Amino acid sequence: MTEAVRVEGLSKVFPNGVRALSGVDLSVRQGEFLVIIGLSGSGKSTLLRCLNRLIDPSEGRVWIFGDEITATEGSDLRAMRSAMAMIFQQFNLVKRHTVITNVLSGSLGRSPLLNSLLLRFSDEERAQAQAYLERVGLGDRGGSRADALSGGQQQRVAIARALMQKPRLVLADEPVASLDPALRHSVMRHIEALNREEGMTVVCTLHDIDLIERYATRVVALRDGQLVYEGEPTSFDAVTFRQIYGEDAVMAGSTVD
Amino acid sequence: MQSWQAQQSTEATIVEISAELQRQQRSLWRHRLRQVQAYCIDLLLLTLMLLMVEFLFVAFSGRRGPTGLLVTPEEILDLLHYGWAVSGGAFLALLWHLGSNALGTSPGRALVLGVPEREGHPPWTHTLRGWFIALMVQLTVFTGWLITEVQLVTFLTQFSKASDIVRGLLHPSSSVLHQGLVLLVQTIFLAFMATAFAIPVAFCLSFLAARNLTRDTFLLRTAYTVVRAGMNFTRAVEPLVWALIFISWVGIGPFAGVLALWVHSIAALVKLYSEQIENIDHGPVDAITATGASHLQVLRYGVVPQVIPPFLSFTIYRWDINVRMSTIIGFVGGGGIGYILKPRVDLGQWGEVGTLVLLIAATVWCMDILSAKIRERIV
Repeated sequence: MTEAVRVEGLSKVFPNGVRALSGVDLSVRQGEFLVIIGLSGSGKSTLLRCLNRLIDPSEGRVWIFGDEITATEGSDLRAMRSAMAMIFQQFNLVKRHTVITNVLSGSLGRSPLLNSLLLRFSDEERAQAQAYLERVGLGDRGGSRADALSGGQQQRVAIARALMQKPRLVLADEPVASLDPALRHSVMRHIEALNREEGMTVVCTLHDIDLIERYATRVVALRDGQLVYEGEPTSFDAVTFRQIYGEDAVMAGSTVD
Repeated sequence: MQSWQAQQSTEATIVEISAELQRQQRSLWRHRLRQVQAYCIDLLLLTLMLLMVEFLFVAFSGRRGPTGLLVTPEEILDLLHYGWAVSGGAFLALLWHLGSNALGTSPGRALVLGVPEREGHPPWTHTLRGWFIALMVQLTVFTGWLITEVQLVTFLTQFSKASDIVRGLLHPSSSVLHQGLVLLVQTIFLAFMATAFAIPVAFCLSFLAARNLTRDTFLLRTAYTVVRAGMNFTRAVEPLVWALIFISWVGIGPFAGVLALWVHSIAALVKLYSEQIENIDHGPVDAITATGASHLQVLRYGVVPQVIPPFLSFTIYRWDINVRMSTIIGFVGGGGIGYILKPRVDLGQWGEVGTLVLLIAATVWCMDILSAKIRERIV
């Protein structure tokens, strides 16, 4: 199988001196559902954002489907970005725009500039956006303002926006962390569908053990900006859990002696 | 492989140690700079104290000026020994800094470096700093009283001299009502046009004046500095001065007033707009950037929707302010109702002045209510 993402020696030191990543090497195969775990502040978000260059790494190189994104600038960088979608913990919809416009904004990378500045999109794009909205179960909410929707619905709109990009790679940064636990599976299932049905590669950061076992095909763990674990989601036991999260952590559902 | 890795990690450690040393060096310099700042503040305060003491001493000494009368405040300000006061202040500030163990932290130090823990939190009457600040407040009030020539007795007993004016204002004459109403319409439109012309310019400039959007390239950072500096200067110049400039430019009349308020409104709106842009939620900007959108598209989708409601609210508020300001602009020939108000004030036609003042008050009152209502709806 070909490589979707390759990361070599990736480091990030923020201007305030915080070292978020140090020397991360990672390879993601095409079609994988890779889950990155680790404590808050372990560098998961920074790693994801270095993949599409929302954050510029201090050192190291990143290849996306064979093209080095860390050596790309300008319109080429934007073209690479439009081939990889991102889903955020806080949904990051444009709250005052309608749901359908939010979905359509996924096509900005290929829209003519002037039309897009006037919020004008072609009929095919509109039909496509409507189809994706129906797919995430929000076909009737296209005309509502985005902030009128609940958290779970907003995240599904964000997934439709990601679909609209027609990406080969989906980056999901804690996609369910700010959702009600009861809604987590409904959102995760949509992300799983991107992976299973559309063949998109997914790199996702998660917290809950049960979600990892259910959705991941492979797991890597970050601790203090370094890769400390890599393996199958099923081989994940209490010992490795402590190794990743520290001695004080308690694995949910495990018996503590 | 092992030794190579070990060597790499030693190198990393050396880099980290040198960075740490640099940081410490920098923080040492920062500390010294702060000490100098603290000393300068103390020097300023103590010099001011000495000057005010001398001022009060001279004022109450009964000294007579060249005319044989008691010296006036202006003459006293001329007489003060500024050089001596600065040297005295420098000496006292040095004394306080050297003896800060015995005398307690000086005000400058407390302000810049903070009060050290060991001093605890005693009530102000137990510290020299507290008494010093109390003394400074008293001295400032007394000196200010003398310099601004406050005359409480005159204020309380001589009201009758102004009673004509008040009577005139309370008995408005109808002779000027028609002309006043016509010019009032002109005033409102003058303010409206100034605001309307200011919106597009301020809108475009505000993106360049927002720190969070101008970090990326050298060109943007330069634009930020230039726009900010230019706008601060424009705002610092009173609209009245702008009016005088534009009256010589385009001649007396409402258009000069429009231009004067336009320039001032641009500067004021850019400040308000750019502050709103700096306060936006960065999430949508990230999300739109991640779709591969260009800079303009990111502004259009990530930034603009977030700032439209506050922009509208500020703009209406600005119109409200411009209506008030255009009255004053009219005083110097910038059109509007102020244009006929000024000669009537000069001639003492208080009845007509009263009519015009009432018209202005009514308009301002209506604008105030209207703008409050509209802004309530938008936000």
